[in-house]
Amino acid sequence: MASSSLFGTALAVARKDLKVEWRTKTAFISSLVFAVLVLAVLYFARDKTSVGDYDLAPGALWVTFTFAGMLGLNRAFLLERENHALDGLRLTPISPTALFLGKVAGNLVFLGVVELVSLPLFILFYDVPIWRQLPTLMVVVALATIGYVAVGTLLSAMVVRTRFSEVMLPVLLLPFLVPPIVSAVQLTWRILALRPLSEMTGWLSLLAAFDIIFFTLSLLLFEAILIE
Amino acid sequence: MGLALVGLAGIYVRALMFTPIERTQGPAQKIFYVHAPVAWAALLAFSVCGLLSLLYLMMRDRKFDLMAAASAEVGTALAVVMLTTGPLWGKPVWGTWWTWDARLTSTLFTFLLFVGYLVLRNALTDFEVRARFSAVLGVMALVLVPFIHVTVYWFRTLHPDPVVLKPDAPSLPSVMLVTLLSSFAVCTVLYIGLVMQRYALAVMQDVREEEAAGGIS
Amino acid sequence: MASSEPAVRVHEVSRRFGYRWVVRNVSMDIASGEAVMLVGGNGAGKTTLLRVMAGLLKAHKGRIDYRGMVGMVAHHTMMYDALTARENLVFFGRLHGLRDDGRADRLLERLGLGHVSGERIATFSRGMLQRLAIARALLHEPDVLLLDEPLTGLDDAASQIVLAVIAELKARGAALLIATHQLIELASVTARVGYMVSGRLAALEPLPGPDAGAIVSRYRDLVASGV
Repeated sequence: MASSSLFGTALAVARKDLKVEWRTKTAFISSLVFAVLVLAVLYFARDKTSVGDYDLAPGALWVTFTFAGMLGLNRAFLLERENHALDGLRLTPISPTALFLGKVAGNLVFLGVVELVSLPLFILFYDVPIWRQLPTLMVVVALATIGYVAVGTLLSAMVVRTRFSEVMLPVLLLPFLVPPIVSAVQLTWRILALRPLSEMTGWLSLLAAFDIIFFTLSLLLFEAILIE
Repeated sequence: MGLALVGLAGIYVRALMFTPIERTQGPAQKIFYVHAPVAWAALLAFSVCGLLSLLYLMMRDRKFDLMAAASAEVGTALAVVMLTTGPLWGKPVWGTWWTWDARLTSTLFTFLLFVGYLVLRNALTDFEVRARFSAVLGVMALVLVPFIHVTVYWFRTLHPDPVVLKPDAPSLPSVMLVTLLSSFAVCTVLYIGLVMQRYALAVMQDVREEEAAGGIS
Repeated sequence: MASSEPAVRVHEVSRRFGYRWVVRNVSMDIASGEAVMLVGGNGAGKTTLLRVMAGLLKAHKGRIDYRGMVGMVAHHTMMYDALTARENLVFFGRLHGLRDDGRADRLLERLGLGHVSGERIATFSRGMLQRLAIARALLHEPDVLLLDEPLTGLDDAASQIVLAVIAELKARGAALLIATHQLIELASVTARVGYMVSGRLAALEPLPGPDAGAIVSRYRDLVASGV
């Protein structure tokens, strides 16, 4: 399959996912409300005299993104399970690569929008006026989200085939989130503390290495999930 | 297998009766003769599981899947021993049951990863789907473990902690070293023996199911 | 269009789920322009055979040769509830590498769904979904079409549309394999019938007669003869 048609097909899959999501909105609104709730609840889950907003904020942000993303990932392949739509896809000549890329793109947009909406809320709730550092923070958010979504898409394609997919996804996925989420928390902490970039390069390269290796690995292994 | 069990008994006797008590740590140090070799065997088990998963995906031979599963099961059991003996030793020596030491933390995550692997296997009924999916997870896990280790290691070194950290391995007196090394050997043999037993059982189950289902014609 | 080379040749195909063999050593040829009826009790392996032939399931033994492309209509619509009939067809057409050139609209019109093409399929009745599923399977003009119980749950009017489409496809030279329990209706469009008994194709022969009774008694004989 020519590369233009590979990306064209992937784009069609992503657009279809987002159109379905836009029509139903259930998962998106749930994820968003969930994100706001977690941000708010974590704010109170501490002794305010000993743990300051700045100490709490990085962890709170990433716990929020982690669990809000989990809701979105579950949805991505449940959608294909309804009416056996995945069989419909497999009856067409679509390549596993195109399907994976399309699914990842759809999930990236989904989680990206949830993150974009909750970031300003986070800044307001936790009173961290870091508007100037926002671009740097968004780079970190983007890097962590790519690795997260790549692995999450692969694993969610597996767990929808099991009986308790909603429970199974976090159990399988969370260990894989240790490197990206810990890196992201470390980087967020440094960004909030206005540390120089030189203190961040280590974690940034870990994050980038995780993205490259696990995106490639997930892409390669996806075909083994698809055939029956 | 029998050899491993005799060896294991031998190690206990040698560790308890014939190896001197370490001066600073006291008798508790003797648990180390179990803890470290078991930890080694567990790590070996998980690595072997990952490699067999890769082999399965390349060759699609059911043998590799059954072996990978056996290795993961034995590894998980060994990891439980490791994770219980660790705190038992840590309490008197470090003064705390648990510490977020890098090695401990990455071991915990690795353990949970393989519990997830076994949970996934259990949730899939068709053996072919199970083999393929768990092999995918096994390969992913193999690549993930070094990442987790780097992550928690950096996390520790960048945030030093007042808790007493594990000292660098001191040069042991030769009596202790012999005990320790023979324990390593015994645990490796024990691991291999357990995996062979578990694998043989899986093959027998497989043959029985195959017979019960009848052939093609 | 008829030619000596069959449109699809199934060669000693077997498939298992877990340890159980569900399809056992099935061989059959279907010529272009021919429709074959596939009958058998529940769990006889009809659906699995069709899914293997469609490429949705791997054959664990044997192989299948096609001339041209294959399409399938299954129990499920294999489409998205939140999209409209037209959007679903355009999406699947896109995956087949087709342009949105009015093909979807023509198919919807042909299957009597033109007036609801802009409605989400979540609101569709069983009969409408079934016809839409056929439209999806015809998008890429397959040379071999596999239909799994195409008439189940359809009222008389919808059945007539589907039967007319089947006859049309036959005339155009497509090879059809139709798994069904609706013997009388399909006897009018098929010439041969395959009997599946516990995973095996017990017989593949000309229709014993135009009435369902003859097919049923032949099937019972095959079951009784014990395989």
